[in-house]
Amino acid sequence: MSDRDPDVSLLRPYLMTSGRTQPVDDTLEIEAQVMSSRLGAAAHGDLAFERREIISLCRKTMSVAEVAASLGLHIGVARVLVADLAALGYVEVRRPGTRLAQDLSMIERVIRGLEAIR
Amino acid sequence: MDSKPFAEPSGRPPTPVKIVIAGGFGVGKTTAVASISEISPLTTEAAITSVGAEVDRAAQVPAKTTTTVAMDFGCITIDEEVKLYLFGTPGQDRFGFMWGDLVRGALGALVIVDTRRIDDCYPAVDYFEKAGLPFVVGVNKFDGSLAHDPADIRWALAVAEDVPMVIFDARDKLSVRDALLAVLRNTFDRARQAAATT
Repeated sequence: MSDRDPDVSLLRPYLMTSGRTQPVDDTLEIEAQVMSSRLGAAAHGDLAFERREIISLCRKTMSVAEVAASLGLHIGVARVLVADLAALGYVEVRRPGTRLAQDLSMIERVIRGLEAIR
Repeated sequence: MDSKPFAEPSGRPPTPVKIVIAGGFGVGKTTAVASISEISPLTTEAAITSVGAEVDRAAQVPAKTTTTVAMDFGCITIDEEVKLYLFGTPGQDRFGFMWGDLVRGALGALVIVDTRRIDDCYPAVDYFEKAGLPFVVGVNKFDGSLAHDPADIRWALAVAEDVPMVIFDARDKLSVRDALLAVLRNTFDRARQAAATT
């Protein structure tokens, strides 16, 4: 058991996400790629705090997990914020394919990529 | 940084794929990720809220407990369009909530075993078996040696005969690469068998 008071540690994320704990799209994968859009760039000045930081950060494409780590956010919070920004069209999200473990050509492609590592 | 003009995003973001690296605490997950990742392993927190066994008598509802678990990850560029993520997770039973997220869409898993504490990896093995995610057992050679014979380790793990087992060194980049290749080849073989029987 953590000796931290869970009510205290959860308060800030709760405020950041306006009280929601479920993202708009609750299936957004932690490895999904996030890239700021032109619309997001244009809205950048109007955004505050973490949303603004995400738009700045995702000028360089990165995963939801990297957004969380870079901004020191709980991964669940990062996921909610990214899903919100995506719903507004401020970020473009590239999600992994479905049934990847059955996708022979993708698996072969990753094998070739790893084999090239020396 | 905010005053800099935005660069035009060039092209589409890459397609992400992932491999899960599981095992008990201190088994070499972070070391393995660090050995091969292009970026220094990043850490993020994931809180797990679970319904506790104790009932709050005043409210007559089960008490909720929140546990925070650190998850390490790294990545490898496969080609211009594909990026491989490695997620290292402490595979404990009570982190059940996290498993679904990690396993969904994964290409496979590497379960790292420390032969001095074999039972630490049982929850991960159980979960991957139930979830149907192909996995490989990776026995980490601590200080270049194994405390037990590979046949004994397999017996202790009680994994199916067809689950591959590799012996590797989490500190060595090429050894980690080969362990990941074993994971992918195992997934490939299973996918091909499944395709052949349908």
